[in-house]
Amino acid sequence: MSANSSFLTSTIGKKYLMALTAIVWSLFVMVHMIGNMLIVVGAEAYNNYSHALTSNPMIYLIEAFLVAVLLFHAVTGLTLVVRNSRTKPKFYSVTPMREKSASIASRTMIYTGTATLAFVIWHLITFKFGPTYFVTYNGVEMRDIYKLVIEKFHEPLYVAGYAVVMILIGFHLFHGVQSIFQTLGISHPRYNKFFKFFGYTYAVVVAAGFISQPLFVFFAR
Amino acid sequence: MKSKSSNTHMTLHLKVWRQKGPHAEGKLCDYELEGVNPDMSFLEMLDILNQKLILKGEEPVAFEHDCREGICGSCSMVIDGNPHGPQKSTTACQLHMRHYRDGQTIVIEPFRAKAFPVMKDLVVDRSAFDRVIQSGGYISVNTGSSPDGNALPIAKEKADLAFDAATCIGCGACVAACRNGAAMLFVSAKVSQLALLPQGQAERSERVAKMVYQMDAEDFGACTNMGSCAGACPKDISLENIARLNREFMRSMVSGRKSYPRGDGANEGSPA
Amino acid sequence: MAIHLDSKSPTGPIEDRWTNHRFSSKLVNPANRRKHSIIIVGTGLGGASAAASLGEMGYHVKSFFIHDSPRRAHSIAAQGGINAAKNYKNDGDSIYRLFYETIKGGDYRARESNVYRLAETSVRIIDHCVALGVPFAREYGGLLDTRSFGGTQVSRTFYARGQTGQQLLIGAYQAMMRQVSDGNVDMYPRREMVELVIIDGHARGIVVRNLATGELETHHADAVVLATGGYGNVFYLSTNAKASNASAIWRAHKKGALIANPCYTQIHPTCIPVSGDHQSKLTLMSESLRNDGRCWTPKNLGDTRPPSQIPENERDYYLERRYPSFGNLVPRDVASRAAKLECDNGHGVGPSKLAVYLDFADSIKRLGEDKIREKYGNLFQMYEKIAGENPYKTPMRIYPAVHYTMGGLWVDYNLQSTIPGLHVLGEANFSDHGANRLGASALMQGLADGYFVIPTTLTNYIGGTTLSKVTTDHPAFKEALASAKARTSKLLGIKGNKTVDQFHKQLGHIMWDHCGMGRNKEGLQKALKEIPKIREEFWQNVAITGHGEGLNQELEKAGRVADFIELGETMCLDALTREESCGGHFREEHQTPDNEAKRDDKNFAHVAAWEYKGDGKKPERHVEKLEFEYCHPTQRSYK
Repeated sequence: MSANSSFLTSTIGKKYLMALTAIVWSLFVMVHMIGNMLIVVGAEAYNNYSHALTSNPMIYLIEAFLVAVLLFHAVTGLTLVVRNSRTKPKFYSVTPMREKSASIASRTMIYTGTATLAFVIWHLITFKFGPTYFVTYNGVEMRDIYKLVIEKFHEPLYVAGYAVVMILIGFHLFHGVQSIFQTLGISHPRYNKFFKFFGYTYAVVVAAGFISQPLFVFFAR
Repeated sequence: MKSKSSNTHMTLHLKVWRQKGPHAEGKLCDYELEGVNPDMSFLEMLDILNQKLILKGEEPVAFEHDCREGICGSCSMVIDGNPHGPQKSTTACQLHMRHYRDGQTIVIEPFRAKAFPVMKDLVVDRSAFDRVIQSGGYISVNTGSSPDGNALPIAKEKADLAFDAATCIGCGACVAACRNGAAMLFVSAKVSQLALLPQGQAERSERVAKMVYQMDAEDFGACTNMGSCAGACPKDISLENIARLNREFMRSMVSGRKSYPRGDGANEGSPA
Repeated sequence: MAIHLDSKSPTGPIEDRWTNHRFSSKLVNPANRRKHSIIIVGTGLGGASAAASLGEMGYHVKSFFIHDSPRRAHSIAAQGGINAAKNYKNDGDSIYRLFYETIKGGDYRARESNVYRLAETSVRIIDHCVALGVPFAREYGGLLDTRSFGGTQVSRTFYARGQTGQQLLIGAYQAMMRQVSDGNVDMYPRREMVELVIIDGHARGIVVRNLATGELETHHADAVVLATGGYGNVFYLSTNAKASNASAIWRAHKKGALIANPCYTQIHPTCIPVSGDHQSKLTLMSESLRNDGRCWTPKNLGDTRPPSQIPENERDYYLERRYPSFGNLVPRDVASRAAKLECDNGHGVGPSKLAVYLDFADSIKRLGEDKIREKYGNLFQMYEKIAGENPYKTPMRIYPAVHYTMGGLWVDYNLQSTIPGLHVLGEANFSDHGANRLGASALMQGLADGYFVIPTTLTNYIGGTTLSKVTTDHPAFKEALASAKARTSKLLGIKGNKTVDQFHKQLGHIMWDHCGMGRNKEGLQKALKEIPKIREEFWQNVAITGHGEGLNQELEKAGRVADFIELGETMCLDALTREESCGGHFREEHQTPDNEAKRDDKNFAHVAAWEYKGDGKKPERHVEKLEFEYCHPTQRSYK
């Protein structure tokens, strides 16, 4: 056994696992958000894109990988939360001032994370396992996921809920993405400002991108 | 600013955590304190309170303090939620009353973390830090065997960086500020100092592994990069050290050949 | 018991004495060392380095300290630096020069053999500390940087910003922690020594109070080492930490260890002035500041203009005027007295008029603010926090304050007190600084004693002494335990109505007024009348709340103040008896026409060591004659 067996149980080891799994899902949400932008182009482009993804046999592997990574991230995060509630049983009766305190985003990772996980399940139920319409383009029959999206994005409650969750995900990413650099030990006073800026921007872009889609559909389609 | 405030005495409302012993229940008690001079340090203000309490036959507030010049690291109080009080880069003993207004309410609590159990009032047990250092926070050279001090040039930049980490006073404000009760800033400061210096290279890989495992065994929390530790640090130890600790730990795990058992020395070293 | 103070100083050429002494010292077989236990009280530079080096040798060390961690000891607060005769600067330094300057700086009241050994060892301390990872300041070429300190014209002070003591202590602490993890050192945190136990004339153990639980514990060993620091807190206000105390050495003194030159007190010239009655301690501004700062006062009496409005020609740079060749870098005793004289003559500044200016304007102009910030940033920041003024813009106001005590338990060349087996290190002993310590020499002495001297001399003691086997069941332990218990319950039983701090302040005032920077017969006699009164009242009227079980900080303080009161009396007696001025001991009757200290080498070229004769009885004075074979006493001049 060359690698250290207890690495995975150490707090820093777990941090690394959080960061590595976070990279996977941070990239996934960004790609997902960009892909979904095809909704602006139109039904055919959107459905073709969806079909290309789902008809590829690799999809099962990728889906399994994503689910595994997400669950791993969630479970590891949960063990850290449990540990940390034990190691800090009581906080103070007054809230600390700014720099001696912590940002709201960093303090609420477990809540925004849980919301994200719940949303992912709901999201899969709504779309992946939701009502199936079909459409045919150039002789190829495929699922008309566009139609379903348009339907859903015309329900005001759904849009509102979706937007709120996206803000929560944004918060999660706001602390999470820039934190990946720190956890992986990528830190240098010359570049740290950039890492932070990158992380914050990333979070805003993903959240804003996802929110723009239902709003676009609701008001313009 | 000094001359103006010198003659105006303030009255303060204090809420102080009182706890008779390690296993007793504690609570915040109210005290009204008159005649506080703005030139007093925060601890001198508590001295006045204690003198009054003793003369009334009550037990004075126990709090740890020693050098009162910000270097020994004994202070262990949280003032209005802030370890060492509201000022940046300042220990509680260096905080002065000129930063408070007449009639203000001040809440004083002990450092809180599982690894720092309260002993009495504002006094906590920080021996976990000693055990983390015992696990590897040193360079193993025996007295008498060292080469000439100038035999090993060290680039000023490196030396300065090591120094920045070495300024840690071991007060534990980082743990107190952290909502997870993590000791990463403390551990990273020592790991950084010794990893940056050429003298520390021989044990570099082993040291970080042992210290991190001991840190975990002491029931410190897990870091979630909130950064309040660095904000509360009276010596401005930077978060960059935590990044370096993460890197050093990974490096040790990947390239180290030895497998270290998870530290279990929670009560090692002290016969008490 | 007739006491003969045998210094056991080796003879022969001074360069060879330590080498020869080491060769002739007894050894202990490495395999046998584990069987010998050594108690070390205190974990400052002396105690921590001794624990580390004795642990490395294989002895079974038991380390006791009053703090929660060894790292809190007050050595941590030393700012400026540590001397070593490395001559890295090629400016004419040598071991002999450091030796000579230390003897001269101490106003010819130290033992030559000890001081030479200290200078000789200084070189190795730096090497060892570098190897331990102490981050000393470096030059751009990567080599060690040095700076100048008072009383010398070479640059031999190694430093780590303004936190040299901290870095050296943490180095020693880590070395000690390594021995703890190796099982050679047992740590006993939050323990205060309350009794020394002597069996068959040898120091064999101690009684400690566990400050966390209140329990009294007994511990036995083959030798006891005290490294408990100085007693500057006898003055209440000093630069010492609040917990710094004399109790360990005082209790040892009461068991037969002689205390030498207790009146030698160093008043540090650059401290932040007192701001009011609430003041609990004084803060030092490192002597290194005098490298770049200039001391001055207004020439005109009663000049109340702010410093910036006092033109150059109305300022008196009194140190530069009086001591042109050393200027602002005269030794501490000289600088302190000069500041006092300025204030006594009505030139003092600030609200209390008990302060002089330390001005950096010229250096800032010459080097730029950044350079000054790099060198002294933390000190300037500290000043600003405490005084509420920005020292980059207005000159600092400083005034002398009690800082270090050269006196301490009498020890021979082996650092052994008059009680066989009781060794004393660092500031707790009297040995190396004579009547005045040069800046950056305290750290040097603590580490020299702990890392390099005690391993040899304690081994010599253990190797050369047949010790009977004892356990803590021995009647001497029972007796010591009972007396410690009685003392605690007596203190707790008084239930008076004056706080410990009130007594301490009262004592401090008397000591400062009559046994401080200037002393005279009349004042000392007055003090000797008043202190016994304080002692009497203390034991009848002190108010201590709480009980003996568990943490009781008032009880801790009370025990210490009770000892300070007794020690203060002996200090005044020593000051009264020493009818001369030397170093930090300035008897106003004995001064030259230009207010310099006037020694009396004919009658006082000796160490005065006091023997305890019982409560309230006058202690007996013994004398160790000082021989100067190499440095012949002359009028000390820094002009």
